Amino acid sequence: MKTFLSIAERHKAKLVAKGKSMVSEEIHLNHHLEERGIEAIETDLGEYILQLARETPSHLIIPAIHKNKSQIAALFEEDAGRPFEPETKVLAAYARQKLRNYFLEADIGLTGCNFGVAESGSITLVSNEGNGRMVSTLPKVHVVVMGMERLVPTFEDLEVVLNMLARSATGQKLTTYTSILTGPKQEGDLDGPEELHVIILDNGRSNQLGDPIFQEVLNCIRCAACLNVCPVYRHVGGHTYGTVYSGPIGAVLTPLLQQDMKEAGTLAYASSLCGACYEACPVKIPLHDMLVHLRHRKVKMKLTSLPERIAFKSYATMFGNITLYKLATRSAYYAQLPLVREGKIKSGPPPLSGWTQSRFMPMLPKRSFRDRWAELQQELAQRKTDGAAPNGTRKEEKR
Amino acid sequence: MTKPGTMMGKEAFMQNIARRLGRSEPLREAPARMLKGVPEFYRDRKLHGDELVEEFSRNWMALSGKVLLVSEAEAAVTIGAYAREICKEHGIERAARWDHPELNKLGLDETLAEDGIAVLPWRPDGAEIAGLADGGANPDSSGAAGNWARRSALLRAAETCRLGIVWPDVAIANTATLALFSHGGKGRSVSLLTDALLAVFRADQLVTRMGEAFERFKAAHPTLESMPSSLNLITGPSRSADIENDLTIGIHGPGKVYAVIIRP
Repeated sequence: MKTFLSIAERHKAKLVAKGKSMVSEEIHLNHHLEERGIEAIETDLGEYILQLARETPSHLIIPAIHKNKSQIAALFEEDAGRPFEPETKVLAAYARQKLRNYFLEADIGLTGCNFGVAESGSITLVSNEGNGRMVSTLPKVHVVVMGMERLVPTFEDLEVVLNMLARSATGQKLTTYTSILTGPKQEGDLDGPEELHVIILDNGRSNQLGDPIFQEVLNCIRCAACLNVCPVYRHVGGHTYGTVYSGPIGAVLTPLLQQDMKEAGTLAYASSLCGACYEACPVKIPLHDMLVHLRHRKVKMKLTSLPERIAFKSYATMFGNITLYKLATRSAYYAQLPLVREGKIKSGPPPLSGWTQSRFMPMLPKRSFRDRWAELQQELAQRKTDGAAPNGTRKEEKR
Repeated sequence: MTKPGTMMGKEAFMQNIARRLGRSEPLREAPARMLKGVPEFYRDRKLHGDELVEEFSRNWMALSGKVLLVSEAEAAVTIGAYAREICKEHGIERAARWDHPELNKLGLDETLAEDGIAVLPWRPDGAEIAGLADGGANPDSSGAAGNWARRSALLRAAETCRLGIVWPDVAIANTATLALFSHGGKGRSVSLLTDALLAVFRADQLVTRMGEAFERFKAAHPTLESMPSSLNLITGPSRSADIENDLTIGIHGPGKVYAVIIRP
């Protein structure tokens, strides 16, 4: 942040045109600039809409996915002081004209970086709209903020990740614009920035290096495929996470980057552990496993609630001892009887009420599965000798 | 403040990485790698001749682009007529083009001049040549720092042009991508600031996949010093789905894209 501000100060910058950058959200760059009287304009259409609304992105790729046309028209109306038809074309045309002015007048263009190429020191920016190219071509100074894990070794590797990113993020064969920038404008060039600064950001990333479980999270190419398939994300939306990165990757990344298991660590529970994120992930980060490991970490750090810890402690004791287990199942049968109506528990005391508020609980049978086991085994043996096809021997389906 | 070509904080940064990875000091050489680049089956898929033209065209049209195939003998006449047609359709009065020997040969400036269309060549004196030296004031500079008014006449003139004409260095068939090695007369802005883009190239400039375009890029610029500051890959028109996931074409860059492929 300091580095960026010193660059801005040296150029007496008043206006910064920003390409889409999650990293700049991470360090709350806009806020810092605003405090110093520097105007930072988001030039990605979705981000621009959110800036007018003073909101944060709810999706990595489509930041304003939670806004509808009428809401956007209302925001533009406020900005322009004239009414707008809630039509995509009309709204987009206004944004084009309005943002073009910022591209032309900005003192500094600021972007993130999709991939850095180590062999040539190149910065790769992708955008469908072209704003990434605008802010890296028109202003005299271009500043790149790059997460340290964005690097690929060579152009050959860049081909892989560029193809992967577009296909996983939007289903395109390739994003419309890919700019591979190697240094500022050169002698004989008639456009392009005179200065190019690259700020490489750690911000908690290096803490994952060497970690046998979590290092792989640094492979993420920020395509948001895991968000799109996540049943939790799809129901609650990105804002519910309350963090820069949402969805499964956000639930893993946020506690790790912030080194905060207490608050951010609760995100690890925002998952059904169905593994859809892992299946969709083009770089195969085992996000669902990581979520379990984060929960484990939280328990180990004794960050879960006291009643929960007591409950699991007694659960472990009871299920670890056959006499206690038998006693518990037997007494549970008798303990439930006062609550049972017509073979069901229709309303129970807390914590059972949490269940019975919306559905019935079937009553526990008098004889447990364990009690019946010897009998069942005998039955099976009988059937085999009778020559009938054995029942219930279907192999467990592999996930 | 740092000077060009310098780096701050490198040692501590690298030392930290080494420490995290259980090394006493940073590696001096890049670690050996088992895998590099795209998988073999993908690398081995090679299209030839008309297959390349067909694959590029199919993908380009799927992105709402238009394709014109023309023979070498008729190139100048046909492409000139095509450019006039595009300008007429969109009411374009000004065009910008790369200062590229192949484009210069087509004589588009004269052809378009017949319709009163000014063509701005991307060279230091381009604005004077096209008679656009006074144009290009930002029409909406209210409250701005006035930066734009101080920029070169060429850049400001380019911003008023609505058609950009380029000669891509390579075209990639499997994604319908134009690869522009932007340097000198091959300005970045020509393919960016306009409403429409006309790209002209020869069929032998087509390759199957991106990696081959990178190979050509590196072969043409073997040293880091000779590498252009900008390699642009353009795949169709500027687009956005940021409003309700509803596809909008032509958001910041050109919304109409035309490809002309010259065949022997």
